[in-house]
Amino acid sequence: MALGTITKRLGNKIFPTLSSTSRLLHSHATSFGFKHVNEEEKARMVGDVFTSVAANYDTMNDLMSAGLHRLWKERLVSMLNPFPGMKHLDVAGGTGDVAFRILDNINKVKQRGLPDAFKDSLESETQMYVCDINPNMLNVGKQRATEKGYGEDGSLVWVEGNAESLSFQNDSMDGYTIAFGIRNVTHIEKVLSEAHRILKPGGRFLCLELSHVSLPIFKELYDLYSFSVIPRIGEMVAGDRESYQYLVESIRRFPPQEKFASMIADAGFQKVEYENLVGGVVAIHSGLKI
Amino acid sequence: MFRTAANRFLSGARHYNGNIGLRFRRPVTLITSSRFSTTENQPFSNPHSIHDAIPVSTTENPSFNDSTSSSSSSSSSSSSSDEDSRRESSKSRAKYEDEHARLLHASLTHVMKLGWTEAALVSGAKDVGLSPSIVGSLSRKEAALVEFFMDDCLQRLVDRIDTDKSLKSLSPSDCISKLIRFRLEMQAPYVSIWPEALSIQAQPVNVPTSFKQRAMLVDEIWHVIGDNASDIDWYAKRTVLGGVYSTTEIYMLTDSSADFRDTWAFLDARVKDAFNLKKTIQEARYLAEAVSVGLGNSFQRFVEKVSRR
Repeated sequence: MALGTITKRLGNKIFPTLSSTSRLLHSHATSFGFKHVNEEEKARMVGDVFTSVAANYDTMNDLMSAGLHRLWKERLVSMLNPFPGMKHLDVAGGTGDVAFRILDNINKVKQRGLPDAFKDSLESETQMYVCDINPNMLNVGKQRATEKGYGEDGSLVWVEGNAESLSFQNDSMDGYTIAFGIRNVTHIEKVLSEAHRILKPGGRFLCLELSHVSLPIFKELYDLYSFSVIPRIGEMVAGDRESYQYLVESIRRFPPQEKFASMIADAGFQKVEYENLVGGVVAIHSGLKI
Repeated sequence: MFRTAANRFLSGARHYNGNIGLRFRRPVTLITSSRFSTTENQPFSNPHSIHDAIPVSTTENPSFNDSTSSSSSSSSSSSSSDEDSRRESSKSRAKYEDEHARLLHASLTHVMKLGWTEAALVSGAKDVGLSPSIVGSLSRKEAALVEFFMDDCLQRLVDRIDTDKSLKSLSPSDCISKLIRFRLEMQAPYVSIWPEALSIQAQPVNVPTSFKQRAMLVDEIWHVIGDNASDIDWYAKRTVLGGVYSTTEIYMLTDSSADFRDTWAFLDARVKDAFNLKKTIQEARYLAEAVSVGLGNSFQRFVEKVSRR
């Protein structure tokens, strides 16, 4: 009974906005969670969110996803299939979580014994670029890299930059990943076309993002969890309820899997596929530039 | 009489089945398109089909992937702008498949040195100027390479069958051994790494495709001989030929004679065995008939004796 009223209330809270998302795609660009804001304001407000959560970002990820985000990132990296000598750009990866995993994976490939094919590619060293718009997140990442001993050979490059206008050359990267980042940008289309621009032919785009759950009962539980539990955890651990309220709202404003896949295809990518994890809580989209 | 009519009807139907293999004379595109359609991506590589109200075109695309057939079938009922975008997307998909084939073709040149491995694919990608990253987008990496090779060989065999008119004048057994030999000679340069390819094909996820490819190969060979071969059951024919092909393929792996002389002798012997088997079955049938007639006679005599008493 109580649960029923809660879900009903949640439904009232969510559904009007959901239906408006499907009608107005570009409204996402200027939405801050469920609030409507103008474009400059969105960029600034998202910046504030990540400045305030930077220190606790990875702890919070562990708490909110019950550690599952590690498995999701592992899956992302295994889908990427990294190789020695790769030039890779990880966007919105300030704390270096994905970048470290990719470097680990490449080292594993090296240890397995190098086939001849990789010999000459070794001369052109592996380069891992981590790009984030928020300097606070980058600082957390740099600190963790020195603690864990990554990038001592100069393979890690930290770049402060906007995903909508990257400072890299055309056709310069083998891979592009963006994990839990594309939801926060102002123009998704611009980010996708920038990704397409900087990738070499044959390069791959991979996006890990919180997405939409469609299983009926699981969806109710997930909504209940995200609207009642997550902001509370955020308040207790990071001392910032608003930022986590924004997080769960922005997930609902993100285009659903199929729509996002067609946006990737529109940006010029081939072989666009997506994989739902945990029934759609998270989806990995992939595309190939030819 | 009824039975022969039914037989003819059935064999007709079966040959129609067999003809499918002949109708698609480009096995490369057939295989890649079917793999393409099984993945979820198909609708998204053609983004406009998501909003497409015409179900015909969405079902048409994955099964044939023939740009002309899909555009001709949809042109009757869709607006011109829709058609343009569809043509564009089918063009870009064709481009993807071209690149895919180019990558695998280039990788084959590295297979001798690196084996049927990801490393060969990486080298191939470098040769054609693609980022090695593309290898990650192939779902079954090594298998894709082996399957491409099998398709390529089948295509070459089909070309040979189409151009070589002398095949028709050969006896069925000679024709079969000649075609199998021609096919196996294609993989002769790879014989040292062929066991590896066989083990890749035998992996559970790859079995359906490799089985299909072998079935298509055997089918092609039977079609050259046509209807005049025999009246053994359609399945039996293909099973026997598949057996002959596979045993010869295995025999070849350990053959160290010059130019695989022993292998070809082995092949001829097995084909002869197969044709003898057919004769043996017929003889056995005649024997069975004779025996049953004999038994019937003695039974009749026995009954007569009993009734006389």
